[in-house]
Amino acid sequence: MNIKTSFFLALTSIKRGNKGTLVMTILIMTLAYVNLVFISSVFGGIVEAINTQSIDNQYGNIVIEPAVDKKYIDNSEAMELITTISGVLGSSAHYVDNTIIKYDERHDGKDIKSGRWLLKSINPLDEKNVTKIHESIIQGSFLEATDKNKILIGKEVAGGHGGDLDHLSLGVSVGDEIDVYFSNDIKRTYTVKGIFSTKSTAVDQMVFVTKKEMESVLKVHKRASEILVKIENTGSENEYINQIRQLGFKNEDIKKWSDLMGFTSSASASFTMISIILGVIGTIVAGVTIFIIIFVSVVNKRRQIGILKAIGMTKNTIILYFVMQALFYGVIGIILGASLILFIVRPYFISNPLDFPVGWVSLKVTFDIIRISNLSLMTAVLIGGFFPAYRGAKESILESIWG
Amino acid sequence: MIIEVKNLKKTYEGKVPTYALKNINFGVKKGEFIALMGRSGSGKSTLLHQLGLLDIPTSGEVIMDGTNLMLFTEKQKSEFRLKKLGYVFQSYALLPELTALESVYLPLMLSGVAKKEYIKKASEMLKKVGLGDRLHHLPKEMSGGEQQRVAIARALVNNPLILFADEPTANLDSESSMVILQLFRELNKKIGQTIIMVTHEPDDKKYVDRVISLKDGVIKN
Repeated sequence: MNIKTSFFLALTSIKRGNKGTLVMTILIMTLAYVNLVFISSVFGGIVEAINTQSIDNQYGNIVIEPAVDKKYIDNSEAMELITTISGVLGSSAHYVDNTIIKYDERHDGKDIKSGRWLLKSINPLDEKNVTKIHESIIQGSFLEATDKNKILIGKEVAGGHGGDLDHLSLGVSVGDEIDVYFSNDIKRTYTVKGIFSTKSTAVDQMVFVTKKEMESVLKVHKRASEILVKIENTGSENEYINQIRQLGFKNEDIKKWSDLMGFTSSASASFTMISIILGVIGTIVAGVTIFIIIFVSVVNKRRQIGILKAIGMTKNTIILYFVMQALFYGVIGIILGASLILFIVRPYFISNPLDFPVGWVSLKVTFDIIRISNLSLMTAVLIGGFFPAYRGAKESILESIWG
Repeated sequence: MIIEVKNLKKTYEGKVPTYALKNINFGVKKGEFIALMGRSGSGKSTLLHQLGLLDIPTSGEVIMDGTNLMLFTEKQKSEFRLKKLGYVFQSYALLPELTALESVYLPLMLSGVAKKEYIKKASEMLKKVGLGDRLHHLPKEMSGGEQQRVAIARALVNNPLILFADEPTANLDSESSMVILQLFRELNKKIGQTIIMVTHEPDDKKYVDRVISLKDGVIKN
C-alpha cells in the first residue's frame, strides 16, 4: 500500500473535483454530525433536568428515613451534627403526614372541595439550604419560621395555575382559609401564605407548614419523619452516607436520591435508551450517505481505477485513495459540526432553554457525547467509504477500463 | 529473447465459447518494434492484454526477461506492471484531475522515488515528448495528440522493459498520428525501447521492424 500516492490522489481529487459536490458532501456530513450530537445532548439535558428537579425540589442528595420498626428518627444529637460534615451544604428535617384538606369557598357547608395530600413540615431556613422550593413561589410568599396558622401549597393543590391535576384541586388563592385533617384526627385551619410551582407534579401536590406548627399537632419534639441532605458534589453520595452513619444513624434507612426516583428513574433510563437508538440510526444514515457518495465517485471513476491498476497501483492503494476522501469529508464534517454546536447551537439553547414538563431543558454537550459522536461518524465514514472502494478496486483492469 | 510466448490460449466462456487466441507461439527480441495487426476481432488486442498482464490467459506461458509471468500473484503483477511495463491506450487514459506533470510522475511516486527526483524526471520526460511548455496543463486544456504524448511520457518515465501501445493513434488526426508514430520510432532507435503496438493502419508498417498478423486468434505469418 502506498499511503503517499493515495493521499496525493485523494487531495487532488478533492481540490480539483466538482466544488458543488464537495460543498454538498461536507454539508451533509456536518448536518449528520450535528444531528448525532444534538439528539444526545437534548436527551442528556432532559435526563439532567429530571435529576436536578429531583435533587433540588424533592429529595436533596441523601434521604434519611426512620428504622423499619420506628415512626420517627429520634437521634436529635446526630441530626444536628449532619451539617458539620465537610461538603454538606444543608440538611432539612421534615415531619410527614397524609392529610385530608378541605376548602369551603362560601362557608355554607355546600360545595366543599377536598382531597388527600401529603403535608410536610419544614424549618424554612434549613429548607432553603436543601431545596429550591422557595425559588418557585408563583403567588404569595415562602414560609417563615415564626409563621403560625400559615400554609404553603403546591399548584396542583391550589388549582388555577395550569397544573396537570387541576380538576382535583381546591381552587384556592393566597389568603384563602383551608381546613387540614391530620392522620391523628386533629383538624387545623390555615391561611394560604404562598403557592409554588416546581415543574414536578409530585412536589406540586405537597403542602408545607412550619416545624413548630407540626410538632404542636403531632405532639412530638426534636424528631423527624425524614431528613433531606444536600451535598456539594452530586455523585459522591455513598461517601457522605458512610460519614452520616458514623454520626450515630445506625439503623436508619439512608438512601441516595437516585434510589428514590422510581418512575422518573425509569423515564430517565428510557430517554437514555431513545438517545442511543436515535444515535445508532443517525450513524447508520451517515454511513449510508457516505457510501452513496463514494459509490457514485467510484462508478464515475471506474475507468480511472482501471488505468491506475494498469500502471501498477495495487488494490489496497486504490481503496485507501477513496477511503481517504471519505475520511476528509468526515473530519471536515466533525470540525464544522462541532463548531456549529459549541459556538452557535449550545449558546442559543443556554439563552433559550426548552420548556419541558420536567423542567427547563438545555443542551448537555459533554466531552463523552463529543467523543462518541466523533468515533461514530468516523466509523460510519470508514465503513461507508471502504465497501464501494473495495468493490471498485477488485474489478479486473479490462472491465474497469472498457466496461 | 525479451518475450517468449508459448502455447498461449484465451477462451471467453459462455453458452458458445469464443476462442480469442488459439495456441499462440512467438518471441520478441530486445529493442524490437513490433506491430500486431489484423482485422477487428482477430485477437490482436487480446494478445496485447495477455502480454501486458492486463488479463489472464486460459493457458500457456508468457516468459518475459526470463521470468514466467503466469506464476505471479496479483501483487507481483502490479509490481511488474509498475516497474517493467509501460502502456499507451487508445483513448489517452489520463486522469482528468491531474496535470501533465502529475500524470507523468505518478508511476515514480508509486515506485517510492523522492519528490525532487520524480519532478525532475517527469519534467525531462515531458520535454522529450515535446511538452516542456505544458507541464501544468490539465487534460481538458490539451489537444488529443498532446494528451497521447503525456500518456507516452507516463508510460516511459519508469524506463520500462517493454512499451505496449493499443491503437495509440486511433483517435488522432493524421498529423498527430504521424507525430506519435515518429516519436515511437525515435524512442526505439535512440534508446532501444522495445515496443509492441496494436494497429489496423497498413501505413503504420513503415515505422515498425516486424509485423505479426493475426486472423481468428492465430498468427498468420
